[in-house]
Amino acid sequence: MSAVAIKTRSLSGQLIGGVLLAELLCAALFSAVAIGHEMHGRRRAFDVMLRGRADSLLGAVQDAEDPEDNVTVDPTELVLPAQDVYEVLDPAGRVLGHSPASSAALLAELSSTRAPGTFNFRAGREHYRAVRFDGVRVIDRDDKGGFRRPVTVLYAAPTRDLWHGAVEAEWFYIAASVLLLAVTGMALVWFLRRRLSPLQELAAIASRVSTRSWEFVPPIAVLRTTELAPIALSIEVLLKGLQQSFERQRQLTGDAAHELKTSIAVLKSSLQLLSMVPRTAEQYETGLEGLLLDCERMEELVSRMLMLARLEESPLEKNASCDLQSILHKVSERLQPLAELKQVVLEIGGGEARFVTMLPDDAELLCSNLIVNALQHSGAYRRVHTVVQAHDGVTELRVQDQGEGIPEPALPHVFDRFYRADRSRSRASGGAGLGLSICKAIVERSNGTIQIQSDLGKGTQVTVTLPSLPTPDRRATDRPPATRE
Amino acid sequence: MRVLIVEDEARLANNIAEALRERCGFAVDCAGNGMDGAAMTEFKHYDLLLLDLMLPGLDGLSIVRQVRRRKDMTPILILTARDQPAQVVELLNAGADDYLTKPFDLGELLARAKALIRRGKGAPQPVLTVGRISLNSVEQTVRCAGELIDLSPTEYRLLEYLIFRPRAIVSARELLEHLYDYNWQHHSNVIEAHVSNLRKKLRAVGEETTIATLRGRGYRLEAPEQQL
Repeated sequence: MSAVAIKTRSLSGQLIGGVLLAELLCAALFSAVAIGHEMHGRRRAFDVMLRGRADSLLGAVQDAEDPEDNVTVDPTELVLPAQDVYEVLDPAGRVLGHSPASSAALLAELSSTRAPGTFNFRAGREHYRAVRFDGVRVIDRDDKGGFRRPVTVLYAAPTRDLWHGAVEAEWFYIAASVLLLAVTGMALVWFLRRRLSPLQELAAIASRVSTRSWEFVPPIAVLRTTELAPIALSIEVLLKGLQQSFERQRQLTGDAAHELKTSIAVLKSSLQLLSMVPRTAEQYETGLEGLLLDCERMEELVSRMLMLARLEESPLEKNASCDLQSILHKVSERLQPLAELKQVVLEIGGGEARFVTMLPDDAELLCSNLIVNALQHSGAYRRVHTVVQAHDGVTELRVQDQGEGIPEPALPHVFDRFYRADRSRSRASGGAGLGLSICKAIVERSNGTIQIQSDLGKGTQVTVTLPSLPTPDRRATDRPPATRE
Repeated sequence: MRVLIVEDEARLANNIAEALRERCGFAVDCAGNGMDGAAMTEFKHYDLLLLDLMLPGLDGLSIVRQVRRRKDMTPILILTARDQPAQVVELLNAGADDYLTKPFDLGELLARAKALIRRGKGAPQPVLTVGRISLNSVEQTVRCAGELIDLSPTEYRLLEYLIFRPRAIVSARELLEHLYDYNWQHHSNVIEAHVSNLRKKLRAVGEETTIATLRGRGYRLEAPEQQL
């Protein structure tokens, strides 16, 4: 499993990351809105201040006391910040006064904007916010009104301090957010660790399961968790199934080994017995005959085991088909001598060709296994009846005997490999307990079913049900089954 | 000595039986399934039980348990095709004395069988002596002061059985049960004839050790007091 390096991701890590990211986004959004609001308030306060200073500058416009009746700005009574820039113009654009410390370039920048209102500009590295408005200065106000002098006031102040305050506020918000994030992050880690402990327990218990120890008991905490209970239960069911199939496999391997070892033990002991003391030629001859029989039996066992493995391993060829009826005929003709030897009547029913998806060799093996089984379990003067019938899209092969039957408790096991209802007798008849397993494998490979019914003392009936195939072409069916060899 | 083989593989059982008869001179009975085997152990005729583990009817382990529950001390040798340690441990704990895994060596089986019988009768090594007589159960020979005595197989078996229990009274019935298998017709006068022959052969080599007949009770291997 670990051969492939998989980048692992922690569920709790992802959860914590996700929540923290959401929190971070919230904090950022909140900070942005708060900063925007703060900036807006500050700018408005700045603008009011700017206007206030500009107004007090307007108040400083005075009669110049010269013959042309000009006005001038007298800043002596004004207390304005030294870094502020201002300029007062008359309607003709003449400069009536300006901030004394300001450079000509700065003033030119200030007066370059013609529209009244607030605006921003930049001079050198300094940012300024400015206001321009047209006002009327009444000089020497008296009952007659006095002189009304329209002037344009331009007033600007550097925004450096404004931003200083904003940045400070910003820092405060960010620090508060980070602190909040850290606290909730830690709380989240603690909480998730606590809440996810059933998941870790489940993982720990599941990791303890192996082919040697199948024990899997999910803890109560896991079963109480809505999300984990179905996982735990399905693991439990899965493991039970796996354990059963594993046990079956182990049993099977053990049984196969047992059969093979016993066969070898027979061969070896026969050989050793023969060579233990000097024997007559006749004794050697009898011994060799016995050895040959032992070998043949072992050969049979091995070939049956391999046959079963082949049937279970490889899927059926795509266009496999055969006429079950003609094969049944052929097999029963071949088995007629055995039936006569056992004094059993072997009957064949049905006549029409019945095609099924099965290899002819497999079909032959199926028929001969079932018939030989039936013959072996029949006493003298009994009947073995075989028939192939088709109905409702299926083809049925039935083999019925009047033998001693199979006891009820043995019935579910007859298709198990190496199973013998009566071992001693089956051994005597040469079976390895694989005949019916092979039949089952053949039938299941063709998507069919095989069933067995038995009445103790009355007989046994094996029914094979296979999907029917349409009869292919005339030539194949015209050939009479008897002449096929 | 008489051995019971419980083994469902008839060819294997026959081979073992043949070897035990030929090479050890034992009487051998075979049972083809567990039920028959278990029933036959109840007669207590046997000096060794050879059990297959996987048997139809009743498995070898169950037979071992049955035998030991009866306080039957007969040595048991198990034949098994399965050799998982857990199973071997279970077998030995249940009361089996030894086991052999299939496929086994026939010679080893015979040696183990003989060793188990010997031990079951309290003799640690294969050479048994009474007076000047020494019996080698491996070679199946009997010597008197180093000189070979020619005995028939039955006479040898008789002496072998008696020499394990010197000075004890052994009934004719017991001798019949332990020296012949089921195929033999039981006649106690057969025993008397063999005992008489054995006695003559021992006397012929000048041996003082002899087999006394205790009428109605049985036979006893007797040696001069100081030589036992």
